[in-house]
Amino acid sequence: MISRKAFLKAGGLALFGISVGGIPTFLAEAASLVQAPGLFKRKKILVSIFQRGAMDGLMAVTPFGDKYLQAARPGLMMSAAKAGNAKPLIDLDGRFGLHPSMEAFERMFREKRLAIVHGMGSPNNSRSHFDAQDYMESGTPFSKGTPSGWLNRAVGLLGHEATPFQAVSLTSSMPRSFYGDMPSVAISNLQDFAIQMKGNPTGTSRVSQSFEDLYDQTASGLLKQTGKESFDAIKMLQKADIKNYKPANNAVYPNTALGNSLRQIAQLIKMDVGLEVAFAESGGWDTHFNQGKETGIFARNVSDLSNSIMAFWTDMDAYQDDLTVMTMTEFGRTVKQNGTGGTDHGRASCNFILGNGVNGGLVHGDVQPLALENLEDGRDLAVTTDFRSVFGEVAGRHLLINNNKILFPGFKGGSIGVMKGS
Amino acid sequence: MKTTLRYFFLPLIISALIIFSSFPGDLPATVNFPYKKAGLTERQAAAHLLSRFTYGARPGDIDALVKMGLEKWFFQQLKGDLPDQSLKARLQNYDAINLSNNEVSRLFPNNGQVIRMAIKDGLIHKDSIQADKKAYRDQILSYMTQNGYRPQAELYRQLINQKILRAAYSHNQMRELLTDFWFNHFNVSLTKGQSAEFVPAYERDVIRPNVFGSFESLVLATAKSPAMLTYLDNFSSSGSPESLPQTANPALQRRLAAQRAANVTDSSIKARVPAKLQQNRKIQGLNENYAREVMELHTLGVDGGYTQADVTQAARVLTGWTVYPMENGYASALKNTLDKIGEQNLAKRGFVHEGDFLFAANRHDTGEKTVMGRHFPANGGYEEGVQLLEMLANHPSAANFISRKIAIRFVSDDPSPKIVNKMTTTFIKTKGDISKVLTAMVSSPEFWSKDALREKTKSPFELAISAVRALNADIGQPYQLYNWINRMGQKIYSYQAPTGFPDRGQYWINTGSLLNRMNFGLALASQRIPGVKVNLAALNNNREPESSGTALMTYGRVIMPERDLSETIDRLKPMLNDPLLQKKIEDAALKNSPPEEKPQPGEADPQMTDAGRSKPVKRTGLKDPSKMTNNQASNTVLAQVVGVILGSPEFQRK
Repeated sequence: MISRKAFLKAGGLALFGISVGGIPTFLAEAASLVQAPGLFKRKKILVSIFQRGAMDGLMAVTPFGDKYLQAARPGLMMSAAKAGNAKPLIDLDGRFGLHPSMEAFERMFREKRLAIVHGMGSPNNSRSHFDAQDYMESGTPFSKGTPSGWLNRAVGLLGHEATPFQAVSLTSSMPRSFYGDMPSVAISNLQDFAIQMKGNPTGTSRVSQSFEDLYDQTASGLLKQTGKESFDAIKMLQKADIKNYKPANNAVYPNTALGNSLRQIAQLIKMDVGLEVAFAESGGWDTHFNQGKETGIFARNVSDLSNSIMAFWTDMDAYQDDLTVMTMTEFGRTVKQNGTGGTDHGRASCNFILGNGVNGGLVHGDVQPLALENLEDGRDLAVTTDFRSVFGEVAGRHLLINNNKILFPGFKGGSIGVMKGS
Repeated sequence: MKTTLRYFFLPLIISALIIFSSFPGDLPATVNFPYKKAGLTERQAAAHLLSRFTYGARPGDIDALVKMGLEKWFFQQLKGDLPDQSLKARLQNYDAINLSNNEVSRLFPNNGQVIRMAIKDGLIHKDSIQADKKAYRDQILSYMTQNGYRPQAELYRQLINQKILRAAYSHNQMRELLTDFWFNHFNVSLTKGQSAEFVPAYERDVIRPNVFGSFESLVLATAKSPAMLTYLDNFSSSGSPESLPQTANPALQRRLAAQRAANVTDSSIKARVPAKLQQNRKIQGLNENYAREVMELHTLGVDGGYTQADVTQAARVLTGWTVYPMENGYASALKNTLDKIGEQNLAKRGFVHEGDFLFAANRHDTGEKTVMGRHFPANGGYEEGVQLLEMLANHPSAANFISRKIAIRFVSDDPSPKIVNKMTTTFIKTKGDISKVLTAMVSSPEFWSKDALREKTKSPFELAISAVRALNADIGQPYQLYNWINRMGQKIYSYQAPTGFPDRGQYWINTGSLLNRMNFGLALASQRIPGVKVNLAALNNNREPESSGTALMTYGRVIMPERDLSETIDRLKPMLNDPLLQKKIEDAALKNSPPEEKPQPGEADPQMTDAGRSKPVKRTGLKDPSKMTNNQASNTVLAQVVGVILGSPEFQRK
C-alpha cells in the first residue's frame, strides 16, 4: 500500500514508466516501407516562404534602365551605377538590378542556383491582402470556398507513407496553404514540443510517461496513433538538443522571425524526421509609408529575407541537392510612388527560387517597359506569369508530383522553364 | 406502391405530430427521448445530452438535469432565455461588445485610418512617418487618446473574451453552442481587415438571436450583414455598365449608347469607357464570391445541383446588395450619391436602407436572370434577391445539407443517413425551423445510440471550456485561455476560409496540437494559467486523496461523470500495484525532500507562534513553512493527477 504521506511527497504518478529507447516508431515504420537498397532514401524538401503584405517587386529587382519607372519613382529609384556613398543596385543582366541589401543572393544568381520570376502574380486582380493571399494559398484564384491549401494538396500528391513531420509550418497557427486533409503541424518553436511543467523535471517525465501510457491503450484509433507520434517526436527532439543547435559552416541566421523559422527547419531536416514540405513567413512588406531606398524599411526586409535564406542554404550544405526554397507574395505594388514615400497595392511582383535543380542565373518572365499602355489598369506592373505556372513547375519538378488538376484545379497553363529539364 | 408510400410517410406524420405538439409551450408532454431503447440509463442519457448541448458538464449538472427531466431541460435550452445575471456581471466591463457597427467604426479606426487622420489634422507630417520608431508610435498613440480613438486590438480582445465567458458561464448553453455552430457555418474572419470591425455586431445581432429560428432568416440576415457583405465581397459587386438602371449614371449611359450607335470598333476606346465608369464610381463590376459561397457553403452544398452559370446569374441577382456607408467616411463615394438622392427619396428610386444594409439600386443589374431554372424577370430590384435567398434556403438540397451538418456537429462525425433523413424531412416540412430540426434529431434513437456516445472529438475551444467548467474554474483573464486555444490549433474568429473550421476529429488532432492539449490540462490544473483560478480541493469537499489511485478515481469521476473510466484507471493500476513502487516512491521522497522542512517543536501552529514568541522568526510568509511545503506538494501531486485526467484521451472526447 502506498501511504498518503509517501504519495504527497513523491508525486502520485511517480515513476510509472520504463523509458523507451531506440528510434521513433514512426521513423522505423516509414523506413520499413522504403525498399532496399538504401534504407533511408532521402526525400526532396520544398521550403516555401510567404512574404505577407505584398513585396514591391520593382524595388527588389529593378528594371533600372526603364525611364518610365524613373519618372514614376523620383524618390524611390536607385541606380546600378556607383554614385557617392550609396550602394548601387547589383546589375544582374544589364536590365535588372538586385536591391543592394540582397547582396547575399548575388553569388547564388551568378552560380545559376537562384532564379527570379518577374511579372508574376494572380489572374484575379483583387488588391486586398486578404483575398490575394487567400487565392494564392488555396491555389484557386477565383474560388474562396476551396477548403484546402495548395501545399496540403501537394503533400497529398506525394503518394507515399509519411511521418508526422512531413509538412511543418513554422507559424503559430496553420497557414491557409496547409489547410486540408493531409496531416500537418504548425509550431512556432520546436522547444514547445514537450510536456511542460516548469521547474519540475521529475514531474515532467512522470506525467509524460502517464500520458504516453494512457494514449497507448486508448480505444480511439485517432488519439492512439497521434499520441504515439507525439511521444516519439518528443523523444527525438529531446535527443537533438534543440536549444544548443550549432549551424554548419558557421552559418549565421539573422535573429528575426524568418531567420528563426529557417534555422528550425534546418534542424528538422538534419534530424531526418521525414520533412518534405516546410512553410515559413516573413512580414512587413506593406510599405505604404517611407519605404526607403538603400536603407530603410524595405532594405531591412530584403536584407532579412536574403540573409536568412542564405544562412539556411549555407547551413544545409550537405542537403542542398534535396532542397528548393521558394518565396511568394500576394501581389506587387504601384509603379508610381505615393504621397507618403511608399507604394500602394499593385498587381505583379517577383519571386525567388533557390536550389541546385533551379534554372538559375536568369530573370524569368515578361516585364514590358513600364509605359502607361503596358500597365495593368493603367497603374501596375502587369501580371504576365500566373503564379500557378511557377508553383506547379517547382513543386512538380522538385517533389516529383505531376497532377496539376489536383494541385491547381481548373488551371490550364503550363510551366515556364524555371526548373532545369522542364 | 401505395403501401410503400404510406410507410414512407408514416414516420413523417409521427414526427410532425411530435413537433407540432411541442411548441411553444414549456414542456411538450408527448416528447420522450428514446434513450432507454438505446440501452442508456437516465444518468447516462443526461450526460450525453450535456455533452452535446453544453460546453461540458459542471460538477452536479447531471443530478440537476435528471431532477428536472431531460425533455424539460432540452426545451428550456431551446428557448434559450434563462436569466444570466452572473454572466452579465462578468461582461459588464466589456463596453465595446455592445456598440453598433457605426460606433465601432468611429471609435476603433484601423492603423491606416489613424495615420491618414493624423496627417489631415496636421499632427504628423507625412514625411516623418516611420513605422518602427518609438517616438512616432507614441505620437500616434497620444493622438488616438486625444481624439478618443481606441486600438482595434482592444475590440477583438473584448470579442474573444466575451465568447469565452459566455461559453463558460451562460445558463443558455445551447444558444451559445448554436451561435458557435452558425457563426462557423456562415463564417467571417478577423483576418480580413475590411470585415473585422463588423464581426462583433455580426455575432451579436445577426447570429445569436436567430440560432433557433428559421434557416431562411439566418441566410437573409447574414446576406445583409456588413461582415458577410465585405468578407465575401458582395458589397462591391455591381452590374455591367449596360445593365445598370439608366438613372444610375446618365452621362456615361448616354456615351455608351452613343458608342453603340456609332458602332465603335476601336477596342481600346470601347474598353476605356467602362473603366472610366468603374474609376468614377469605385465599383468593379460583378463579383461572384458571395453568390458562389451562399450556394456551395451556406445552403445547397457543393453537389447541390447548381452550375457555374447559376452562380453568375445569382451574382447578378445580388448586385447592389451592399453596406450602408458608415459615419466615419468609409465608402464616401456611395455616401455622396446617397446624399444627392436624399434619404426620403431612396425608396422611390428603388433603394432599400435597413440599418447597416443598403440595396443600391444604381448598382443593380436590371436584366432578367434565371437561377436553377427559376426565372427572375427584368427590373426585379431588391425583392428578387430576397426571393433567390428564400429559394436557396428552402431547397431540398439545403434541407439535406444543413441537416447533415447539424448532425455532424451534434451527433457524430459520420451520422447515419437515418437520422439525417428524419431531420431533412422535418426541415422541409417546417420550412427550415431549426428548433424543430434539432428536436427531430434528439427524438431519434440514433442520437442516443451507443455509437454516438463520446464519438465526437472536442475542438480546442470545447476542450478548454469543458475543462474550466469541470473544475468550476474562475476565469479572470479569458484572453489567457484564448492563447492556449490558439496553441491547440483553433484561432477563434480567425479561420480564414469561408468554410469555417472543419468539424471532425482528424482536423483537430495532430502531433503538435495533441501535446498542447496535454500541456493545457497540466497548466490549468497546476494554476499556471494566469487569471484562471481553480480550487481542486473544493471539488473533493476539501478532502485530500489518500493515494494516487484514489485521486485518479475521485477526480476522474468528478471531471468525467458517467464515463467508463476503466480505460483510464486500469492502465495505471499495474503500475500502482508495482511491488517496487513503494520503494521507488520512498527513495524519491527522500531525495526530493527539501532540507529543514521538518516541523520544529513549538512551531506547529503558526498562529500560536506569531502571538507567543518574542523572537521574530524569519519566514517566507505568515504560514508555517512545513505546512506550506505540504500544501505545495499536495497541490503539485493533485495537479498532476488532474492534469493527466484533463489531458487524457477520454477527456478529449465528448
